[in-house]
Amino acid sequence: MSESEITLDAGHAAALEPSPYALQSKKLTMWLFIISDAVTFGAILFGYAYLRIGTPNWSTPFHFSPNIVNGLVMTFVLLSSSLTMLAADAAAKEGRKSSCLKWLGATVVLGIVFATLHLREWFHMFDEGWSLSKNPLGGSVQFGATFFSITGLHLMHVISGIIALIVIAIGYNTDWLDAGHVETTGLYWHFVDLVWMFVFPLLYLMNVAR
Amino acid sequence: MTETNHEPGMKEYIAIWVGLLCIVGIEAFLTSMNLSTRTLLVSLLVLAFIEAGIALLYFMHLKYEKPNLFWSLVPAVIFVLFMMNHIWPDAYRMANLRVPIQ
Repeated sequence: MSESEITLDAGHAAALEPSPYALQSKKLTMWLFIISDAVTFGAILFGYAYLRIGTPNWSTPFHFSPNIVNGLVMTFVLLSSSLTMLAADAAAKEGRKSSCLKWLGATVVLGIVFATLHLREWFHMFDEGWSLSKNPLGGSVQFGATFFSITGLHLMHVISGIIALIVIAIGYNTDWLDAGHVETTGLYWHFVDLVWMFVFPLLYLMNVAR
Repeated sequence: MTETNHEPGMKEYIAIWVGLLCIVGIEAFLTSMNLSTRTLLVSLLVLAFIEAGIALLYFMHLKYEKPNLFWSLVPAVIFVLFMMNHIWPDAYRMANLRVPIQ
């Protein structure tokens, strides 16, 4: 190593502080995305609550069966997909590639089941006459507007997550991506699960007919 | 929150998963009871925050990261969500001062 290189290295060492988080940059980036997305979901849930308080003829159309039972099954599926994602993450960290791919596949399947159950519920509601601007019960149209907007945004996250998991699985299988990518995608998937923990009680359980 | 790499194993994760399912079951049970809207809302929100906290700390491994990460991210989100609470007086104004529906 020449004297000029040594001087350059010493200069960089002085300029670069150690990371205060000790994280891979992709993982820190995902955390920053998650935080901004959490605020987005927080804002739309506050908007939903604002409209609900301010709307005197708010409709509560759900019944324990089939709506809440369906919601419980969806919750079970999404929570289980977080568990399979953790198994995939653990396998990736230990270098067990086939096991990781198996658990990533299970997570994708559970995500597809969740999305299918969600869309089936939506189409059932469309058949009943619900839409963003229609209420077949004759009350305020705000229920349909908020319900489809919020669950639609969440469903979009689930579908994006499924696509991301498939890309990650292919990349990990071909050694294009590593265990860090699996972990980072897992963070996103758990966040989607975390959001559902607020969407389910606030949009489903709080709208059961009494 | 400790700075350690000893993340839970699958047995611990399964126990946490069962715990989260139990909380969801409690939420559904509370909904089936004839609670007032306010009581039900508060109960469901408390349970949802407990669930979210468990998911954040264990599933998302925040408990096992450096404390700097927690202190950089979480208080900022709580502050932003807290500041959104200024909308409630206007929501009650909409409900109470509007022209009655004919």
